[in-house]
Amino acid sequence: MKALLAILVALPVLAQQPATPPAVPPATTTTDAPSPVPSTEPVLTGWIDLGYRWGAGVGGSFDTYRSIINLGSGPKFLGADFTLTDPKHKWFDTIQVRADSWGDEPSSSVHVEAKKSGVYDFNADYRDFAYFNFLPSYADPLLSTGVVLDEQSFDTRRKIAALSLDIRPGHWWTPYFGWDHDSNGGTGATVFVSDGNDYPVPNTLSDSTELYRAGIRFEKPRFHVTLEEGGTTFRSNQSLYQNPQGSTNYGNVSAPILGQTLDLTNLLAAYGIGGSSTYTKALLTANPTTWLDIYGQFLFSQPSSHVNYQQTDAGNLYLQSQVLFYTSEQDLITASSQQPHTSGSFGAEIRPLKHMRIVESWLTDRLHDAGSSAGTETLLNPYAAIPLSTLLATTLASNYSQEAIDIFYDATSKLTLRGGYRYVWGDASYASLPPEGLASSAQEQLRQNIGMGAATFRPSQKISVTGEFEGGASSGVYFRTSLYDYQKVRAQVHYQPLQQLSISADFTLLNNQNPLAGTKYDYSASQESLSFYWSPHGKIFDIQGTYSHSDLKSNISYLEPETLTPQLSTYRDNAHTGSALFDLAWPHGKRFAPKLAAGGSFFISSGSQPTSYFQPTAKLWVPLGKHLNWFSEWQYYGYGEAFLLYQGFRTHLVTTGVRFTP
Amino acid sequence: MRWHVVVLSLTIAAAALAQPAAPTLPPGYVGSETCMACHEDIYKAFAKSPHHPVDVDAKRGWQGRACESCHGPGQKHAESGDPTLIRDPANLAAAAADKICLTCHLNQPTQIGRLESSHAHNQVSCTACHKVHGSEPLVARKTEATNKLCASCHLNEWAQFQRPFHHKLPEGDMTCVDCHNPHGSIRPVMQQSFAGNEPGCFKCHGDKRGPFTFEHAPVRFEGCQACHEPHGSANARMLTRANVRFVCLECHANLPSVPSKVAGVVPPSFHDLNLPLFQNCTVCHQKIHGSHVDRNLLK
Repeated sequence: MKALLAILVALPVLAQQPATPPAVPPATTTTDAPSPVPSTEPVLTGWIDLGYRWGAGVGGSFDTYRSIINLGSGPKFLGADFTLTDPKHKWFDTIQVRADSWGDEPSSSVHVEAKKSGVYDFNADYRDFAYFNFLPSYADPLLSTGVVLDEQSFDTRRKIAALSLDIRPGHWWTPYFGWDHDSNGGTGATVFVSDGNDYPVPNTLSDSTELYRAGIRFEKPRFHVTLEEGGTTFRSNQSLYQNPQGSTNYGNVSAPILGQTLDLTNLLAAYGIGGSSTYTKALLTANPTTWLDIYGQFLFSQPSSHVNYQQTDAGNLYLQSQVLFYTSEQDLITASSQQPHTSGSFGAEIRPLKHMRIVESWLTDRLHDAGSSAGTETLLNPYAAIPLSTLLATTLASNYSQEAIDIFYDATSKLTLRGGYRYVWGDASYASLPPEGLASSAQEQLRQNIGMGAATFRPSQKISVTGEFEGGASSGVYFRTSLYDYQKVRAQVHYQPLQQLSISADFTLLNNQNPLAGTKYDYSASQESLSFYWSPHGKIFDIQGTYSHSDLKSNISYLEPETLTPQLSTYRDNAHTGSALFDLAWPHGKRFAPKLAAGGSFFISSGSQPTSYFQPTAKLWVPLGKHLNWFSEWQYYGYGEAFLLYQGFRTHLVTTGVRFTP
Repeated sequence: MRWHVVVLSLTIAAAALAQPAAPTLPPGYVGSETCMACHEDIYKAFAKSPHHPVDVDAKRGWQGRACESCHGPGQKHAESGDPTLIRDPANLAAAAADKICLTCHLNQPTQIGRLESSHAHNQVSCTACHKVHGSEPLVARKTEATNKLCASCHLNEWAQFQRPFHHKLPEGDMTCVDCHNPHGSIRPVMQQSFAGNEPGCFKCHGDKRGPFTFEHAPVRFEGCQACHEPHGSANARMLTRANVRFVCLECHANLPSVPSKVAGVVPPSFHDLNLPLFQNCTVCHQKIHGSHVDRNLLK
C-alpha cells in the first residue's frame, strides 16, 4: 500500500510537462531528413572582387575630370565583404570585414566589426580620400592672359580613421573607448599676398587631428546616464615657397606702381600651428512615471590653438601705407586663441491624455572665442631697415537659445496632428583691437518667433502622407541672408498600390524675405521629386526611377564696392535631375543566370550656372561556377558648362573583373 | 521491500523535478515556438537577430516570448489565425509603435536627441528604419544600404547628390549618417557632433576647425551651409552661388550697418570688380574660414 502511495506521489510530479500550447494548425511540411551536425569550426562567408579598369581617355578638360571623377586605369581591388562566425563563441561571435576600392582609387575604405555578445563590441573604420581640385575657371585672375592656373587648387589625400570599443555591451554599465584620426597632406597652389600685388606660389599642406575619448554608460529601466571625457590634439604645417627660389614671379598685377614693376624672387613662409582641446559630455534620459520622459544633456569643450608663423621674402615689393618700396622682408607672428563652448538642452515629453503628447524643450549654445597675436616685421631696402610691430586682440561671442513646445494629438490611429511654437533668441558680438577700417566691431541680436504645424495621415500600411509647415518672423538676425520672415513647407507621400509597385513623392519649399532697408532679400527655393520602384517579376526584373525638379530664385541688393552704386545680386537655378536603374536576370538560367543592370543619372540646369552632367552605366554579371562570377561594367561621364565650354569633359570607363566566393 | 519502493519513487520524482521546467506562461501568452508554427521564416530569421537574446535570456523577462514582447499576448491570434487579434506595430500610430521599442530602448544614449529629431516630429517610427525580425539587418551599416534607406524618403536630398560637385555619397564613399544623426541631435538638421558639441563637419575637415585668432563670424554663427550647399551643387566647391564674389557681396554689401541691422555689411572694400583679380575674393582672402595670423584673412 505504501509502495503504491509512493508511486502515486511520484506520478503527478512526472505528469508536470511543459505548458501545452493551444491548438495550432499542423505544419504543412515535415521531412525526416536528418539534421546536419552543426559545425564547431569558424565559418567564413563573403566575397572578394578583383578587376581592371580601362579609361578611353578624357575629352575636354582633364583637370575638371580629375576634380569631379578622378577614376583612373589599372588593376583594382574593387571590394570585399567577409563575415567570420564562430559557433563556439570562444573569442568572438562574428567578425565582419568590408573593403572598397583599393588600388590608386580616389577613395578607399576598410571597415572591421568584431563582437562577442555581452563581452565587447569593436569597430574600426579607415578611409582614404584623394582630394584633387583644379578648376580652370575657379580662381584664375590670369586666365584672360592665357595662363591656366587655379590659384586655390589642391592635390592632397585625406585619411580618416576611427576605432571604438564597448566593453560589456548590453549590461547596465558599459565602459567605452574611442579614437579618431583625421589627416590631410599634399601640395597645392595658393597666393602670397603683398601690398600692390599677389603672387601665385606652390604650397605644401599637412594637418592632422587626433581625438581620444572614454566614457561609461549606465542604463537602468528607469533612467540612463552617459559620462564621457575626451580630448583632441591638432597640428598644421602649411608652407608656401617660390619655386625655383631666385626666379622672378610677376604676380597677378602687371601694372606698375609709381613706375615700378613689382615682383617676388624668394619666398619661404611656414605656419606652425598646434592645438588641443578637452571636452565633457553628460547625457541623461529618464522616465520617472508612465506619463513623463525627460531628456537632458550638457556638453562643454574648450579648444585652443597657438601659432608660430615665419615668413621671409624678397623681390621688388611695396608697402602701400608708407608708400615704401623694399627688397626683402622678415615677418614673425605668434598668436593664440581659445574657444570655450558650452551647450545644453533639457526637455520633457508629457502624456497627460492617452492620445496627446506635449514636448517641451530648451536648448542653449554659447561660444566665446578670444585670440591675440603679436607680430614683428622688418622691411629692408638698400637704404634702411624698417621695423614694424603689431599687437592685436580679438573676441567673438555667440549666445544662442531656443525654447520650443510641440503638441501631438493622435486624432485617430491613422491621423496625427502636431502644432508647435518656438522662440529663438541670442546675441553675437565681434571685436578686434586696435580698431582698423570700418568693421572692427559688431554687435547683433537674434529674435525669432516660429510657428509650426504638421499632419501625418496613414490610412493603411500602403499609403502615408506627411505635411509640415513652419513659419518664422524675426525682429533681429545676424546676417543679411539669414532666415528672416520665412515659410518652410514639406510634404511626403508614399503609396504602394500593388505588391510589386511603390511610389513616393517629396516636396519642399522655402521662402525667405528680409524687407529691411538696405537688404531687400527675396529668396525662394522649391523642389519636387517623384520616385517609383516596380518589380513585376520578382527577382527576374525590377526597375526604379526618380525625377526631381528644383527652382531657386534669389535677389539681394548691394553697393558696387568701387563706385558704391546700387546693384542687385541675382541667382537663378532651375534644375532637372533624373536617375533610373533596371535589373534583369535571365529567366531560365537558374543558378547560372546572367544578370544585367543598366541605368544612370542626369542633371541639367539653367540659370546662373547652366550645367549638364550625365552618368549612364551598365553592368553585366555572369556566374561561371559555384564560387566564381565574372562581371563587366561600362560607365560614361559627361560634364558641360554653357558659360565655360573649356571646362567640360567626357569619358568612357570600362571595368571588368571577377568575384570569388569561398 | 517497502523502503526500496519509497526510494525508487523519490528518485523518479527527483529526476522529474531535475528536468528544466519550461517557463510558465502568463495568461494569454503562447510562447515563441507556437508563433513558429505559422511564422517559421520569421522565427528562423529572428534567431540571427540582435533581438534574439530577448527570447533566451531570462533576465530580460521575456524568455520564450520574444515575439509577444512586441506583439502582445498571442493566444487569441494563435487559436483563430485572425490577424486582427494580434498587435501589429505596422498598423499602429508611430508614437504607439515607438512606445513598444522605447519600453526597452528609451533609456539609452541614442535617444538623447529625440525631442529635437524631425523624425520623431514627423511620426517616423523606429521600424521605418530598423527591421526587427532579422530578415534584413536591424541597422543598415553598409554604405549603400544606409544611403538607400535614407533616400527612400529624402528624395529631394538624394537628387542634390546627383549634381556634379557633391559629397561622395553616390560613389559609396560616405553615408548620410556620417553627417546626420537619424535619432536626433542638439545641433540643427540633426547634424552629428564632433568633440562634444562642435559641428560634425570638423570630423573630416579638421583644418577648418580652429579656433582662429581671427574668426570669420558666419562660420561660427551659421555654419558651413552659410556659403556651401552640403549635399551638392552645380557650383565649384559646392558654393551657394556661381561666382565667389556674390557669395561674399551678399553679406559684405558695403552698406551702412545701422539700417541693415546685420553684421558684416561694411567691409573696407574699394576693389574694382571689373578686374578678374577681384572676381574671386578668396584668391587673396584665402583664409576665408578663419586666420591664425591676419585680421583680413589674407594669410
